[in-house]
Amino acid sequence: MTASTATETGAAIVKLEDVHLSFGQTEVLKGIDLTINKGDAVSIIGPSGSGKSTILRCINALVTPQSGKITVAGTRVDQLTKESERIQLRKRVGIVFQQYNLFPHLTVLDNIVLAPTKILGADRTATVKLARELLEKVRLSEKADAYPGQLSGGQQQRVAIARALAMKPELVLFDEVTSALDPETVGEVLWVIRDLIRDGMTSILVTHEMRFAEEISDTVVFTENGRIVDHGSPQQIFHTTDNPRIRQFVGGLSGGGRGAVRDGEGI
Amino acid sequence: MSMAVTPKTTSTSSRVLRYIGFVAMPLIVIVWSLIDLSLGRELVEWIPYLASGFSMNILITICAVTLGTTAGVTLGLMQLAPFWFVRLPAQIYVQIFRNAPALVLIFATTYIFPFEIVLFGNYLPFPDWVKAVIGLAILSSAYIAEITRGAVLSIPTTQWEATKGLGFSRLQALRYVILPQCVRRSLPPWMNVASSMAMGTSLASLVGVHELMHAATDASTAVRRLDFTIIAYVVVMAAFFTLCYPIARLTRRLEQRFNAG
Amino acid sequence: MQDMNLTGLFIDLMGRLGLNYEFLATGYEAQIWRDGFITTLYLVAVTIPVSLIVGLIFAACLTSGRLWLSAPVRGFVELTRNTPTLVQLMFSFLVLNTVVSNMLGGAQNNPLSPFFWVVAVVGLHVAALHAEAIRGGIEAVPSSMIEAARGMGFSQFEILRYVQIPLAFRASLPAIVNGLISLVKSTTVGNAIAVSEITYASIMVWTQRDNVVELMIVLLAFFSLINFVVARVGSWVERRLAIPGYGL
Repeated sequence: MTASTATETGAAIVKLEDVHLSFGQTEVLKGIDLTINKGDAVSIIGPSGSGKSTILRCINALVTPQSGKITVAGTRVDQLTKESERIQLRKRVGIVFQQYNLFPHLTVLDNIVLAPTKILGADRTATVKLARELLEKVRLSEKADAYPGQLSGGQQQRVAIARALAMKPELVLFDEVTSALDPETVGEVLWVIRDLIRDGMTSILVTHEMRFAEEISDTVVFTENGRIVDHGSPQQIFHTTDNPRIRQFVGGLSGGGRGAVRDGEGI
Repeated sequence: MSMAVTPKTTSTSSRVLRYIGFVAMPLIVIVWSLIDLSLGRELVEWIPYLASGFSMNILITICAVTLGTTAGVTLGLMQLAPFWFVRLPAQIYVQIFRNAPALVLIFATTYIFPFEIVLFGNYLPFPDWVKAVIGLAILSSAYIAEITRGAVLSIPTTQWEATKGLGFSRLQALRYVILPQCVRRSLPPWMNVASSMAMGTSLASLVGVHELMHAATDASTAVRRLDFTIIAYVVVMAAFFTLCYPIARLTRRLEQRFNAG
Repeated sequence: MQDMNLTGLFIDLMGRLGLNYEFLATGYEAQIWRDGFITTLYLVAVTIPVSLIVGLIFAACLTSGRLWLSAPVRGFVELTRNTPTLVQLMFSFLVLNTVVSNMLGGAQNNPLSPFFWVVAVVGLHVAALHAEAIRGGIEAVPSSMIEAARGMGFSQFEILRYVQIPLAFRASLPAIVNGLISLVKSTTVGNAIAVSEITYASIMVWTQRDNVVELMIVLLAFFSLINFVVARVGSWVERRLAIPGYGL
């Protein structure tokens, strides 16, 4: 947590400048510029295959772009050459995936405790205490000794969020965390994320939950075909934009679409 | 211990290895014979003897697998019979012989059976290789019984119900729906059994059957050259490898296809 | 004394059933036979850990993604799986052992016994089977799970250690138990190079006594028993490691 002193609230914690990335012949990112300030909640929306998830993976150094500058919490991510340096970065940036990916052979508590104790070398007693607090926060205290296979999708995803938070990250990336869930459990996960954002956690979300994005975001970014088409306040993107593509996309999804219905539930 | 699995290199490297695998061993033998011609001449002289040995391995394999499959399928279906007096003997047989080492069974049949049998007053010789066939057939029948039982049990009962719903008779259902699925499922493990029986035939050399292993031992004692002993055993390994490796590859391909389908 | 009486009772009882176990009352043959059982058990006890440790090393090589590690192991796995164990043993004993003897200046200096060669050949053969099973288990771990661990800052080794091996071991356990059962059976090939395991000892007895059927019954029971124990231990481990709610 040494770097956090360098980035005060309001200062840029993530900065992408002209990031280009392709997998083989496919160009996925075609020049992304994005600045995210500490304490902000940013939603990235846009059609499937527009490169949203890849942006998150770049920030977490899971993929390396061919060109462009990426600065995350004072680290030039694009200049990291060794896997060990990337690992150092990933310890400071939490990520939660669509497929929760809890370790099936460990209990809920051990899932949360494993990385801090084994990877960060944290004290086990203190970490267990932290893990229980986090489970309380995601409202799953009674499931500490259950195994992931015994939980619903929504419960597993909340554990995955607690697991990411146990690393005390400086920012958290959410990669379509509700897309794989049953409609009735989406709400409980969104609730947890909303709490987190209210507590001031810097969050970047790739999401299809338009209402949720509108409600919690400081900034909404619309991507299409590997480019950022527009970004601005939720009001701007969802209501006052002139861009026909965004209007079409936003209108198509929230006008009685599944996203709107799901969002209303459980909140 | 790094786990950087880059699918592309693994698949090309494994494909290359696979092709090398088919020809590597015969290639070693040929190249070595050409480098050291005196060795090559010696080998060429012994090749017919070794080949006659190997034909015995193939004969034993075919007979044992045929016998074992017939008995094994019967035993496997018996294990599923509704009557305990049919089920129980089959279960006991399978449990005992599935756990028995092939060598023990070959010893058993070789030393327990007489060297000739009386049939309608005629004395018929009962050669050792037939005893080896019976020993291996007992083993393979126990394996195949388990495969058969597993295959039938793996067909979901809904399949039976579906055929009933479509108006199939029980026999028609078995013929057109159930058995084809059983065959599909049991083909890869059956091929594994066949391949391990083929390798098991080498054990017959220990009871004096003139097969490849036995022939190689004869040859190396006659020639008395370390390099010839090496190449003779490489030939033995190459022969078994050329027989079993394609079966193994085909089995894996079938397994992958069935798993995908 | 008690023991002798029991043996006598057994021989008597079996004699009435028409089975000849009289050799058990003699000192020498009974001793050979007992030693045969002990040798087989010893062989099994030594070879099992060898196969497991080497199998894990082989699996690590196969999944390393490095050609210079995976290719030789892959080659060995294919060779050992597709040639008879007996031929491998004879080759090792007649060729490799002779080479070692020549290098050390004569057979009298060669510390490698037939027992060693059986452990080495059978152990490595079964290790190859284990390696294939474990490799399958490692590759069955979903890539999204590995990415999640990477995203949390796990190194490649930590992913292997905390995620892939625990899951792969559970997934491959039934196959490993099968491998161990075939290991138990394969130890009988020691017979070919005069390792006095149980089949070798039995031949010594029945050539004297002509009681093949009697010895066979005991042999089959003996191997059934060892394999029953191996299978039981295997399913006990499987139950101990079973994860609630996670079907494999």
